[in-house]
This record gives sequence, C-alpha cells and structure tokens, in this order.
Amino acid sequence: MSKKVLVVDDDPDVRSFVVTVLEENQYIPLIAQDGIEGFEMIEKEKPDLVILDVLMPRGSGIRLYRKLKTDESFNQIPIIMFTGIALRSFLKSQKALDEFKGGEVPEPDIYLEKPVKPEELVAAIKKKLD
Amino acid sequence: MSVNKILIVDDEEIIVKVLSMSLRTDGYETIAAHSGEQGLEVFKSESPDIVVTDIKMPGMDGLELLKKIKEIDPEKEVIIVTGHGDIDSTITALQYGASDFINKPVRDEALAIALDRAKTKIDIRAKLKEYTENLEFKVAEATEEIRRKSNFQRLLIRSSNDAIVAFNHDWKVVVYNPEAATMFGEAAKDVRSKMTIDDLYTPQIAQIFKNQAKEEKQQNTLPWRENIIKTKDGRQIPVRYTSNVLYEKGEFVGTVNFFHNLTEIKRLEKELVQSERLAAVGQTVSGLAHYVKNILIGLQGGSYVVDVGIAKNNTEKFKTGWKTIKRNIKRVGDLTQDLLTYSKQREPEFEVCLPNDIVEDVIELVTDVAGSNDVLISKEYDNSIGEVMADSQTIHRSLLNLINNAIDACIEDEDISKNHKIKVKTYVGKDNYFCFEVKDNGCGMDKDIQKQLFDPMFSSKGGKGTGLGLLVTSKLIEEHNGVIETKTSPGEGSTFTIKLPYEKVN
Repeated sequence: MSKKVLVVDDDPDVRSFVVTVLEENQYIPLIAQDGIEGFEMIEKEKPDLVILDVLMPRGSGIRLYRKLKTDESFNQIPIIMFTGIALRSFLKSQKALDEFKGGEVPEPDIYLEKPVKPEELVAAIKKKLD
Repeated sequence: MSVNKILIVDDEEIIVKVLSMSLRTDGYETIAAHSGEQGLEVFKSESPDIVVTDIKMPGMDGLELLKKIKEIDPEKEVIIVTGHGDIDSTITALQYGASDFINKPVRDEALAIALDRAKTKIDIRAKLKEYTENLEFKVAEATEEIRRKSNFQRLLIRSSNDAIVAFNHDWKVVVYNPEAATMFGEAAKDVRSKMTIDDLYTPQIAQIFKNQAKEEKQQNTLPWRENIIKTKDGRQIPVRYTSNVLYEKGEFVGTVNFFHNLTEIKRLEKELVQSERLAAVGQTVSGLAHYVKNILIGLQGGSYVVDVGIAKNNTEKFKTGWKTIKRNIKRVGDLTQDLLTYSKQREPEFEVCLPNDIVEDVIELVTDVAGSNDVLISKEYDNSIGEVMADSQTIHRSLLNLINNAIDACIEDEDISKNHKIKVKTYVGKDNYFCFEVKDNGCGMDKDIQKQLFDPMFSSKGGKGTGLGLLVTSKLIEEHNGVIETKTSPGEGSTFTIKLPYEKVN
C-alpha cells in the first residue's frame, strides 16, 4: 500500500513541486498551508511522513515540530525539515526554546535546505520510509 | 655689630696718649699712629671701626688720610680733629666724607658724642646692610617662585591641546598658545599684543564673546557649545568652545576663550557612518542574494513540474508548473522595478488627480488577495480633498505597498481568533498636508523590526519579501516632499500614514 506524505508549506510553488515529486514516486501527497492546518491533517490522516517548512504564518514549523516531538501519539512520525532557513539558525532557535520551555526536543531526522533537487528529496523520503 | 677698635692718628704723641687712655677707660680698644702714612698702614693691617685723626700733620695730612681710607672702605667712620675756625679744611673734609668734627683741644665729652654718633651710624649701616641683604634674598626667593609659577602656567597654556586665547579689557590679545596658532593660522608674534578680537576672529564669533562680556556682570563660564570657525585663510574648523569673562575686584579685566578642535572627531564620525553604510551594502547584497535564491527555487521547482507534465502528457501538471514559473518571473520583474526605483533619482510628475480615486483603484487590485486570506478591507474617504496636484504614480505605488504589507501582517498574525481587517482612510491633515492612513489589526511589530523597517533588504517575511518595499515607498514619498509615519504595537497591529503637501486644484 502506498504511503501518505504530508507537505506543510505556505508557498504554493513549493507545494506543487513536492506534490509532483511525491506522485512521481508513488506516494500519496497530502497538503497543508500552515502549522495549524498541518496539525489537523496529522490528527485526521495519520501520515507516514511529514515534510515541514519552518517559516510559515499561523503556527510556524518550529512550533509544529516541537508539538509533534513532545506528543507521544505523534513522536514516532518521521519529519523532514524542508526550508530556506539554515540548519544552524534552526538549531539555535530550538536550543533557545529548550532552555525557555525546559526539556529537550531531538534534532530533526533529516534537514534539507532549499534549493533541493527532486532526487535528493526522494532519497531522503526513501531513507525514512523504505 | 659692636664697635670697639679705634685708630687714633696725631703727630703730637701726648694727645694720642691722653685720648687712648680716655677711650680705653670707656672700654674701647685703641691703636695709635703718629703720622698720616703710619695711620694708613695701621688702618690696612688692623681695620679699625672708627678713625680719629688730626687734620694738620707733616707729610700725609688728615685730609689725605681721610681720602685714602674712604677709597679703601667708604663705610669707615672717620672723625676729624680740627683747629678752631679752619673752615676750608672742614669743607674739604666733608667733601671727602668725614663723619664728624671735633675742635682742638679735644674734650672728652665732644669725643664721646662724636663716637656715639659714629657708632650709631655704623649700627644703622650694619642693620641697613643686613636688611638690604635679607631683602635681596627675599626678593630673589619670591622672584624665583613667581618665575617658576609663571613658567609652569606658561607651559600649561603652551602645552594645552585646546587653543587658548585671552584678551585684556581693550580686547587686545594677551594669551595665544601654539594650538591657537595652529587653529587660526596666524603666528603668535603677529598676534600677541598686536591684534584685537576683531582682527583674529570672524565678526560672528567675536560678537559672541563681546556679548558675553557685556551681559555677564560677574565671573561666569559659558557652557560648551559647538560652532564652525572660519579662519582668515578660509579654513573651516568645527570646534567646541567655551569662554570665561574675567573680573578683578569687580572690574572687567578681560576674557579667555578655549577652543577644542573637533576636526578629528568629526572625521572619525564620518568614517563610522561610512563603514556603517558599507555594512548596509553588505546586508543589501546578502538580502538580495537570499531573495534571488528563493526565485530560483521557485523556477527550478516549476520547471520540474512542467517537465513531468510534458513527459506524462498531463496538462494539469503542465499548467501548475507554468503558473509557478510565471509567478517567479513576476517576482524578478517586481524586484527589478524596486531596485530601479530605489537606485534612480526620480522627479515626481505632478498632475491633477483625485486621491480618493487612486485609493479606490488600489483597493480593487488587492481585494481578491485580501478576501482569500479572510482579511476585510474597509475605507473612509474625506471628500473635501477634491482634486490635487500630485504624482499619482507615487500615491498608487506607495499605497499598494502599504496595503500589501497590511495584508501580510494579517496573514502572519498568529492570533487566528481575530477578525482581521484593514482600514484605509483619507483626510486633510494639519500643516497643509493631505493624508492616507492604512491601519491593520495584524501581527504588529516589535521595536527591533520597527528599527530596521526602512533599512535596505530588511524583510520580516522570511525570504518572501524583497526587503525593498518600504524603502521604495519612503523614497517616493520623500521625493514628493511628503512624510511617512508609523505606529505599531506587537500583537495589535500597525498604522502607516502618508502625508503629502496639499495643493488643491480649484
């Protein structure tokens, strides 16, 4: 059975690109435009993998990432961060949030900095799902 | 000094004997000589305090002896013993500096009186000498102290990094240190006690100090101020200066001015501004690169989708990919236009236009985007504005930028319970401006963002903005002699107001 992959990104260009890549590789694409919609989709559709942008309106990727990693019902879902933000900046903000909120959230499984070639994206998905 | 050695000179031995005896009983030490020549010898070897000599003697007489003694030591007291009525000799003796005269025959009382007088004179002279010597020493000491002090002060004034110029009550230069010479470009020798305040300073500066002297009736220091000094040779020197009016016992005695040269400080300030500008250019380039990278990502993604559409003969995919490509081509176009607007000096093209109509056009352009993001746009027009002379393009682009920003601020807002709305208002403002106000209740901005708001390539939209929008807007408004104002509060929204000079067309 084909696996479900959720793309959470506010940029329609990125969404159509990732959706096309997923379709071409026989995954079932799901889409959400922001963090809040993303979480609703995860609760409803239980995707096998989440591809997550960092900077988005309405509940950023940073917030959704922490929410998923600290919730036992979701923390097994692999997440690919897919963003224009440098990993260093992302980790710095995570560390700041760790200190602020207490506890420690694990680093993302895979962190892809845009631009990403279709093959690279596919390789990253395969690594997590196959 | 006690007097006790007396030389008695007389060719008559008996007189010498009698006088010696009489003086010895009074406690004096006496030496005797029987001729002028002998007297001189004894005087040289014994150095008596007082000499008593007969005037008439064979060989060297008393007058001659007196003269020789006075030549050796003018301070010795010589008492002359004369015969009765010898006026001529007496006058000559006086001329030679005799201290006193006793008539022959010598009486004890007369001699005692003469000796007393001589002694008193010697005492006084001794005291005077002591005082004089002391005084000389004291004066030398005081002079040295004054010299040291004045030397120290002179060095102090000389070595000061500030230019120091002082004037006396006639406004003549009395102090002019080397730094002052450097600053004003006039050599000290041509200035000190030669120039007046009007010769040295430009009228404007001279007037400041003259007024101060006129107004201040007591010693008072001017607070440090800044000014540009123009020198006679045409240099302009930025200075901090102060001045002190000097009084002595309530009398105006002069003024002293201090100038601190700010040229170096100003140069450093300029350098700092320059390096900040360079840093801003660096930021601009990296911001620009970031934005271009985002366009590239869009184009690459779009072309991939187009490729898939072609390969699979899937029109839907083809259309989606093509839309992405077109959207990113438009972003390149927008960026180019923003960059051109920002970099080119453009004169506003004034024409008759209706501000309210321009607002209406702009709102129509953005209504779709706003609607699809659940943002409500309302408007309030002041119809009294009417027709004005203005550059409609400036108004159009500025408003479009501001309203687009407002929509973004609503979309970015994390508080989704709000009913997001934007109000666009026109009105006639104070100071002859007509105004546009764009008010949103979106995310607002914190102080950091607000500070960078008009910086080139600063964007809070995470790579989705060129970072030129507000920069371009403020440039357009400035070229139109207008003002742009911001009020914002994080979480509550922002208000941007554009004010343009109101030139109504009847």
